[in-house]
Amino acid sequence: MGSMATGGSGTATVPRRQRYMDRKSLVPLLLFLPPTLVLFTLFVVLPMVDAATFSFFDWNGYGPITDFVGLKNYDDVITHRNFGTAVRNSLIVVAVSLLVQLPLAMWCAIALAERSVNINILRTLFFLPFMLAEVAAGLIWKFVYDGNYGLLPVVGDAIGVKMPFVLGDKLWVIPAIMLVITWKYFGFHMMIYIAGLQSIPSEVIEAARLDGVRRWQIVRHIKIPMIRSAIVISVFFAITGALQLFDLIIPLSNGGPSHSSHTIVTFLYQFGILRMKLGFGGAVSVLLFVACVIVALAYRRILFKVEQN
Amino acid sequence: MPVQAQTVVRHLHNVHPQELELLNQAVAEFEAANPGIKVELPFLENEAFKAKLTTLLQSADAPDVFHSWGGGVFYEQAAAGVLRPVEDVVTAAAKEATGTAGVSAFTAPDGHLYGLARDVGEVVLWYNKSLFEQAGVDPASMQTWEGFLAGVQAFKAAGITPLAVGAKDKWPAHFWWSKLVVRLAGKDGFEAAARGDGDGFAGEDFVKAGEYFLQLAALEPWQEGFLTASYGDASGYFGDGKAAMHLMGDWDYGVMKDNSASKQGIPDDQLGILPFPTIEGGKGDPTDTLGGLSGYLFSKNASDAAVKWVEYFNSAEVQSRFANAGFYIPIAKGAADNMTNPFKVQVAQNIGNAHWHALFFDQALGPNVGGVVNDISAELAANAMSAEEAAELIKEAVDDSCRS
Repeated sequence: MGSMATGGSGTATVPRRQRYMDRKSLVPLLLFLPPTLVLFTLFVVLPMVDAATFSFFDWNGYGPITDFVGLKNYDDVITHRNFGTAVRNSLIVVAVSLLVQLPLAMWCAIALAERSVNINILRTLFFLPFMLAEVAAGLIWKFVYDGNYGLLPVVGDAIGVKMPFVLGDKLWVIPAIMLVITWKYFGFHMMIYIAGLQSIPSEVIEAARLDGVRRWQIVRHIKIPMIRSAIVISVFFAITGALQLFDLIIPLSNGGPSHSSHTIVTFLYQFGILRMKLGFGGAVSVLLFVACVIVALAYRRILFKVEQN
Repeated sequence: MPVQAQTVVRHLHNVHPQELELLNQAVAEFEAANPGIKVELPFLENEAFKAKLTTLLQSADAPDVFHSWGGGVFYEQAAAGVLRPVEDVVTAAAKEATGTAGVSAFTAPDGHLYGLARDVGEVVLWYNKSLFEQAGVDPASMQTWEGFLAGVQAFKAAGITPLAVGAKDKWPAHFWWSKLVVRLAGKDGFEAAARGDGDGFAGEDFVKAGEYFLQLAALEPWQEGFLTASYGDASGYFGDGKAAMHLMGDWDYGVMKDNSASKQGIPDDQLGILPFPTIEGGKGDPTDTLGGLSGYLFSKNASDAAVKWVEYFNSAEVQSRFANAGFYIPIAKGAADNMTNPFKVQVAQNIGNAHWHALFFDQALGPNVGGVVNDISAELAANAMSAEEAAELIKEAVDDSCRS
């Protein structure tokens, strides 16, 4: 992403433009661009414009949209008694993703980057949770946590501890969900890192070893800097994914108990969609969209600065 | 042979497989008698049904006929023009069969009839006789609120869970708040509050309902982990004989069996229905009941054939099969006469004798206010909110809805 903006020098753009104009690239361009553009407009841009429009109206989902209320919905969202909790939870998810999930993924990636049969099996095992559908994963963990018939009380009995009903406990529900999120997504980031690590030429590592560089130093000063672009991507996915977290929460806790485990998106669904206050929901989605755009722009800016240094 | 033009009636249902068998049978009979009409039965699970209906009704895929619990949700649908007025299509006999209560339940504030009532239901306090014996609690002592609280404490002392509740789904908890409101505020008080008159739901009787609820919650009467329990979980817990009582609709008779580990549930001779405790000074009538009066609505594009189908389906002959199988209590005159299930018979009598049959509050008040009622009920059950705050939140939601 960064290279497109920064790499094009004056002399390089002319031949590049010529390349786009020639017939061989024009055909695929005309063939592949319109469907994507149409789909993107229909299913991304238009709904976004719709939601933004709803946010200025009071609308229950039925009939024409006529009741203009200005910024009232935004005011309602910001002063809603559960909105603060939802924002806090989404930020916790971001923090846990960055501080726990990514380091764990990196650690596993470094340990599992070599090619061998055993390592392949481990890698697949760690990647499996990511391939599971979110709802299925949520249901599996709901069972694990179930205080009556689940796995957790069995484990608790074995070690002689009375386990709480974690998903019904305001204190435990967030850590319990964080565990599932980490379990579910660290394998994905691990794969990104492994792909990066495998592209590092083995001569570089070998040369370092011959020079007597220690293992940790190799990781710190050679491997991690060389997969910088993979990390950039994975951090970006982690943040935007965390802000949009929805489908794991619904089967696990449904935002409960007492609306203490909502993320911004489950908050939107509960109070905007299910309560049929679509204007309110639209306002939440606009706020979330703005937050995501700010994150994306700030992120690019920070990266740009780092690159310049 | 010439191809016969067929009218297709799409009847969206949300019923369990056993009930579907009877539904299919009715469809087969109706199609045989009406060769020009084909009835399709698309299915949506209950919670998905509620969530999806708004969008569905405004799409090209709108069903012609769908289940409705009446009340505020139905009024919004009617006001939005997604329903078809059928007062001129429905035969006088079909109207007559559902009675005045049935007709008025499916008449919107605009005066049009949009559907046909099918069944009535009541929320009752189911109890397990053998657990009462075990704890030495006399069911008759539970008729007043004080006696009820004493009984709950006796169960706690005996190491038996007094009450099962599926508070994760919230609506099971809202039955407690609703029953307390029915007792304390009565019909007039509730209707005034729903209109937003005076202090509305922040009024004295509603704060009191919260306080009584908190008295109960303070005794920690629920099963462990009740906040993570869905309705089905709680129903199974009661069906397994692990809780002494369960405040739930009469339909729980079958659901409790299905969700129990043995699939048998509590045997009929061990199962009983208690009247909800009366409260001294309450403005409600002792005969007041809380429950449903549900039926079918016709969407905007429904044909006359759709009405014809529902009339057939709603006939005493077809409905008596559902009654005899114990699925629900049909409203059609004569359909419930041969019911043998003693619990259903009792519920039918309760509703028949009621001064006020209050509709489920979360449906009657519409999705927004109803959602808040469900929320505060789960909070009160968890002893996590004051009675004043609960009442205030409902009032706010009503004011919000009244303004728009």
